Amino acid sequence: MDALTLSFAVINGLLLGGIYGGVALGLSLIFGVMRVINFAHGSFLMLAMYCSYLLWASLGVHPYVSILVTVPFLFAVGYVVQSVVISPLIRRERALVVEPTSALLLTAGVYLVVDNSVLMAFGPDVRSVTTDITYESIFVAGLPINMARLIGFAAAILVAFALSFWLKHSDMGRAIRATAQNRDAAAMSGINVPLIYNVTFGLGCAVLGLFGALLVPFFSITPTIGLSFGIKSFLVVVLGGIGSIPGSILGGLLLGVFESVAAQFVTATSAAIFSFGLFIVILLMRPAGLMGRA
Amino acid sequence: MRVSFTLILGLPLLVAALILPFVVADNYVVHSAAMVLYFAYMASSWNFVCGYVGQVSLGHAAFSGIAGYASVLLFTGLGLSPWIGMILGGILAAAISVPVGYATFRLKGPYFTLTSIAFAEILRIWLENTDAFLGIPLKGAQGLTVPPVGGTSFVAFQFDGKLPYYFIILAMLVGVMAATRLMERSRLGFYLKAIRGNRDGSEALGIDPTRYCLTALALSAFLTGLGGAYYAQLFRYINPERNMGIDLSIDMAVMTIVGGQGTILGPTLGALVLHPVGEVVRATLGGHVLGLHLILYGVVLMLAVLYFPKGIIAPLQRWLAPAPKAPAPVVKPKEVEGR
Amino acid sequence: MSNRILEVECISKRFGGLQAVSPFSFHMDKGEILGLLGPNGAGKTTAFNMIAGALRTDTGAIRFNGRDIVGEKPWDICRLGIARTFQLSKPFGGLSVVENVMVGAFVRTASEAEARAEAEKVVDFLGLSAKACTDAEDLTAFDRRKLELGRALATGPRLLLMDEVVAGATPTEAQEMVALVRRVRDLGVSILIVEHVMKVIMGLSDRVIVLDYGKLIADGPPQQVVNQPDVLKAYFGERYVHARA
Repeated sequence: MDALTLSFAVINGLLLGGIYGGVALGLSLIFGVMRVINFAHGSFLMLAMYCSYLLWASLGVHPYVSILVTVPFLFAVGYVVQSVVISPLIRRERALVVEPTSALLLTAGVYLVVDNSVLMAFGPDVRSVTTDITYESIFVAGLPINMARLIGFAAAILVAFALSFWLKHSDMGRAIRATAQNRDAAAMSGINVPLIYNVTFGLGCAVLGLFGALLVPFFSITPTIGLSFGIKSFLVVVLGGIGSIPGSILGGLLLGVFESVAAQFVTATSAAIFSFGLFIVILLMRPAGLMGRA
Repeated sequence: MRVSFTLILGLPLLVAALILPFVVADNYVVHSAAMVLYFAYMASSWNFVCGYVGQVSLGHAAFSGIAGYASVLLFTGLGLSPWIGMILGGILAAAISVPVGYATFRLKGPYFTLTSIAFAEILRIWLENTDAFLGIPLKGAQGLTVPPVGGTSFVAFQFDGKLPYYFIILAMLVGVMAATRLMERSRLGFYLKAIRGNRDGSEALGIDPTRYCLTALALSAFLTGLGGAYYAQLFRYINPERNMGIDLSIDMAVMTIVGGQGTILGPTLGALVLHPVGEVVRATLGGHVLGLHLILYGVVLMLAVLYFPKGIIAPLQRWLAPAPKAPAPVVKPKEVEGR
Repeated sequence: MSNRILEVECISKRFGGLQAVSPFSFHMDKGEILGLLGPNGAGKTTAFNMIAGALRTDTGAIRFNGRDIVGEKPWDICRLGIARTFQLSKPFGGLSVVENVMVGAFVRTASEAEARAEAEKVVDFLGLSAKACTDAEDLTAFDRRKLELGRALATGPRLLLMDEVVAGATPTEAQEMVALVRRVRDLGVSILIVEHVMKVIMGLSDRVIVLDYGKLIADGPPQQVVNQPDVLKAYFGERYVHARA
């Protein structure tokens, strides 16, 4: 293994890792505010990818243009899922003990419905989108850098910054942070908590709308891709600290580089095994830290 | 009280299960019924630990796979009877469950669930991509077939027709229910319920939660392993996806939750309701609508979590055995007499 | 064999920058009811948790019947013969009253029949026989307290640690609880009781110790202790001033 291959692996890992971080942002945001682990997180990303693919395949819309559709669409999906499926549970829990396992099972139900609906509609075939940008690369210090990945990476950083800024400075952002800290106190201060939950969930999914479209030019689409991205997102937020936006990007970068460098030494399969192993080790090493925030 | 209810509901079901293959002597029906019993068995095995401690494992399929592979490999490699292989496989699954459980039972709620998925997926991915391990042929994703010995052989766990398989799994199901009932009435059962209700409180009453959770998990892994080995014999085929994939874990969990966690009959009720519905959907709409039954499972799971957190067994229990308040003073003097 | 059931030597606890309990010592005799007093945040529950093994003391030793129990797990401490009740009683849901008590009784026996027999005795002792088959979650708050006591008693303790037994109880209920605690002592169980309600602890305890801001400021018979200036200042100070003003 020479230095060139290694640095290429690291750069690729960073690019992909940034995207992982961007994908995980929504999961982290939703957990931070609602204490709900959205098992269907990856399914929503998959939904966005299919949406972008459909627009390309049927109308010839460039994936990057399809963002105009996927982002509002995913926001709506998230908003509806929260207000129709999850909110009855939260309303029930207000009186009773908070039971995070129920929330997980509920979103696992959403995962089953979404993944299998897509499987039913599109079949198990692998689909891919070829656009002008798919094979385009720029060279930095003699290393080829794929444009589509670079754009995805840049978008992740940008979204993370924009989201942090928005949460800090906008009225809605402040209301969301207040709700995250103390739901009941927020409600008593006149914040419409159910609305905040709906918006947060919608927002977490809207970010997936963006990354779904950004992934499509260089990632093949199958109905099972959701679960694999979902599990990666869990790993990312656990690595970076659940509920933290910069942590999400950092966790993504770590995972991306880890996977990419590991793949230079072992097969991709073993790399996947290592990622799972990493996930377990981290959860076991700092359960107190995780619980502390939970 | 609970006992009589279990009998009121369970006995007619058992009688129906016993006469069914003689009333409808159709191979397809018997096979489908055996599959219902198989899922009821698997869900009951899952319920043995998860239903009572209240932690959702979505990695239980791994135990099925471990024992399934062990029994098939012992048969093909050493010519050991699958009956013995089944037991050995179950013991292996139990042995593996202990260190895994020791690590994961410290985690609560969703973290436990996600870690259980990660463990099972590591095993599945490894198996799918490993052709041979230490000289043992595993054949990766392709899976292993059980060579037919020709005709019926009890020792080889191979029978002509589906009827013997049907009665074997029925016996296994009755067995797991009996084991669950024994556990429920024993110290272990009380302790698991106590840990579920209030972990700190249980520790102060002399309960080491890890120890009792692990005991139950090892038993559950053993039972799940027997089911996995049975499945391999029924189909004379085993592969990582069907025998240890996450879908199987989800099936076990969903059926138990829908039927009623922490009860003897709940998992069976769940399987009885969900599996046939899935089958009917598949049969009427044909094989090309992949995944429709899973959509249904998803919807039912959501409805159950929201509106029937105690499962469909709860309303049945109220209807068949309207117990709680009234008989309390009646039961009491009887118990005093018994002392 | 000494008459000391519990000897606590220089136990202390620090949470980050906060010294929750400064090193303090006390002892208990067999058959004694010892009251642990102190205003809110005085470190009573922390001290309590250290004895019960839920928290580990930073310093010192805790000897139960002469044996050091520091570092033992809560369940092992329970097996040795120290039982406790919690400030908030949370019964095990889905189990009846008698079954809740059986959970405690299983410490001494693996047999269901024996545990049930023992639990029925305890339920009878508590005066809860009429509700023995009720789901524990359907009990009134006060009955839950009694159940909490019953579960602890069923473990067959020599020493019982009770946290805030009459919190939220009506005066009649409080009286009933006081009588119950006395009857528990008559069974030969030593009792360390943490209580807010002065009247209860004055009438019940043989001796009281007072913690204030993590420090032991008094130790003696109830009537004597309440008249110590330190105690008056720490515990009643504000109220006294308030009442006179």
